[in-house]
Amino acid sequence: MKNNSLKTPFKTRLKAILVETFTQVANYAIILLLSLLVGAVVIYLTGKDPIAAYQALWKGAFGNWYKVTDTLDRSTVLIFSGLAAAVAFRTSIFNLGLEGQLYIGAFAAALVGFTVKGLPAVVHIPLCLLAGALAGGIWSLPPILFKLKWKVPVMVPTLMLNYIGILFTSYLIAFPFKDPTAQMAGSPVLEATARLPKLIQGHTVNIGFPLALAAMFLVHWFMFRTKMGYELRMVGYNPDFAASTGLPVNRSALLAMMISGMLVGLGGSIVIMGFFGRFMGGFSVGYGWDGMMISLLAQNHPLGVLPASLFYAALANGALTMQSLTGVPQTVVDMVKGTIMFFVTVQVFSSAIRRRLSTWVSTSAE
Amino acid sequence: MGFDISRIITLSLFAATLRMTTPILFATLGGIFSSHTGIFHVGLEGLLDIAAFFAVVGSVRTGSPWGGLLYAIVACLVASLVFAVVHLEMKANEIIVGLAMNIFATGLTNFLLVAILDAVGFYQSPEIIGFSQVNIPVLKDIPVISELLSGHFPLVYFSFLFVLIVYILLYRTPFGFHLRAVGEKIEAAEAVGIDPKKIKYIGLLICGVLCALGGTFLSLSYLNLFSENMTAGRGWVALAAINFGEMKPLRSLIACLIFGFADALALRLQQFGLPSQIVLMLPYVSTLIVLIASAISRESKKTTPSKPQKGGQEVEAAV
Repeated sequence: MKNNSLKTPFKTRLKAILVETFTQVANYAIILLLSLLVGAVVIYLTGKDPIAAYQALWKGAFGNWYKVTDTLDRSTVLIFSGLAAAVAFRTSIFNLGLEGQLYIGAFAAALVGFTVKGLPAVVHIPLCLLAGALAGGIWSLPPILFKLKWKVPVMVPTLMLNYIGILFTSYLIAFPFKDPTAQMAGSPVLEATARLPKLIQGHTVNIGFPLALAAMFLVHWFMFRTKMGYELRMVGYNPDFAASTGLPVNRSALLAMMISGMLVGLGGSIVIMGFFGRFMGGFSVGYGWDGMMISLLAQNHPLGVLPASLFYAALANGALTMQSLTGVPQTVVDMVKGTIMFFVTVQVFSSAIRRRLSTWVSTSAE
Repeated sequence: MGFDISRIITLSLFAATLRMTTPILFATLGGIFSSHTGIFHVGLEGLLDIAAFFAVVGSVRTGSPWGGLLYAIVACLVASLVFAVVHLEMKANEIIVGLAMNIFATGLTNFLLVAILDAVGFYQSPEIIGFSQVNIPVLKDIPVISELLSGHFPLVYFSFLFVLIVYILLYRTPFGFHLRAVGEKIEAAEAVGIDPKKIKYIGLLICGVLCALGGTFLSLSYLNLFSENMTAGRGWVALAAINFGEMKPLRSLIACLIFGFADALALRLQQFGLPSQIVLMLPYVSTLIVLIASAISRESKKTTPSKPQKGGQEVEAAV
């Protein structure tokens, strides 16, 4: 709702805030329920029991303490790529290259992880993370530089660099850095000092998760509490206006892209250093693409990325259990994700709810 | 490495170029229609994916590649109609809808692959009936030309024929004039009584049909199979071709041929023992180069008039 005047009575303003909160909550509740309903119909049509399937899904995501920490672990990389997308999208840069930046970042972290030897973990881990972030950031730069120099539209080049980056890393592990002992195509194993320590003994979740939370608050602080972050948002909101008021449009675009690439590069590094222990070909099951969906679901708000990532992680982990227990293919989850994406894109519910409630606000103002 | 150029650059390489150009060309022609109505269609990749999948389903169900094509066209029309309604009626941002469509298409095809064909990520079966090659009566007897132009799949000929059809439709018919008017100056179009929404609907639906042809070619010609990611970014490459061709069918064809050649060359070089990972980058690198080259030439054209350059230039840069 718009609070366009200071003269608005307090009561009306309060109501406006209430309306907005209620709208958002109701909007997401409807989206979630409808998407799960679509999933249920699809499951039913394939001749399986939707209720049993969803029970298995819940069990797989949050069934016990181990499952909960697994879901947290799974959400880690999603938080990073969701934040990466949010920073770029907020600046109106369609960085579709997250997947490639993730691979390049992850490989750089792995490279430092298996070539540098004899460092203590407190030095080695940050060094790997730094390498991953820098590599992801640098890989994201060519498209924005092409854009600034020659006005090449950003979307297609970022996408092309996905393919190039993924092929390049798979070349690196197939030839120069091939580990002959590895069963699948992969790099040599990382030094023990480059592995992320577990957060809880016997669980998969590692220090990557608190790092992701820290990154989230940092990005939020940067976007909403600093001058540069303000510039980014203004450029994203209206580039013409931003330029005419003398805001550094080009610098903001460059910065947003770099941060975006660094964040997703970090996410990839953490998967490798925390989970796999070596760089694996095809290790990302669309984390970069999920990040974009997560960001859109969170309306490009850094703090919204956390619940959205947890939800996506729960869906992914739950789907595995669902498939093994009930035989419902885990790709059902892709359908649910697609439906969510559709409803988020359309935003029909929030505008409908808002319309209903706005009459309530305006009548009380009289 | 011990191979000479003459063994790589052969007639069959050029024949393969025509073949690899086809799917990109169809998507490009489709994208040209939506671009002319002012809609930047990011969902081409998703449409190709949907078409490739439903063509396989249709081929298995009807026992004919033409049945497959029909299934693909219907599926793409439905998808395009959804796109049109969401963008035109519900006013959702076209780029977000396009991205959503790509993601939805991946989810849909992956799921239906399991649900309908009981396969994961990949489906190949003798039940998939693909197109067969066509020998052109007179051409097939001329030595060089026969190798180059005869013996292709019907959709290859269609795609090049469609370049002409699209050209005539856009520049020689009242419909094409209306379409371009909507994209160039919507107020003027409205003033002369054109319904922009209707034109945009038609543009998006034609785009759907053309992408259906492209996707069908991918799964029912040469290799009769469907696999996850078989579109391999061709929908995006098509956007680059449209950008290069400035929405003109003939100019865009040039870009498509370049990309088709890069695809064919990549396939070819793999047989010579070069690492496939490096060779397969070729189409994507060539797309980048073409995009940059066309942007540079456009820039140099634009700087000739002595217009005061302030703000405006930088502004576009951010988006």
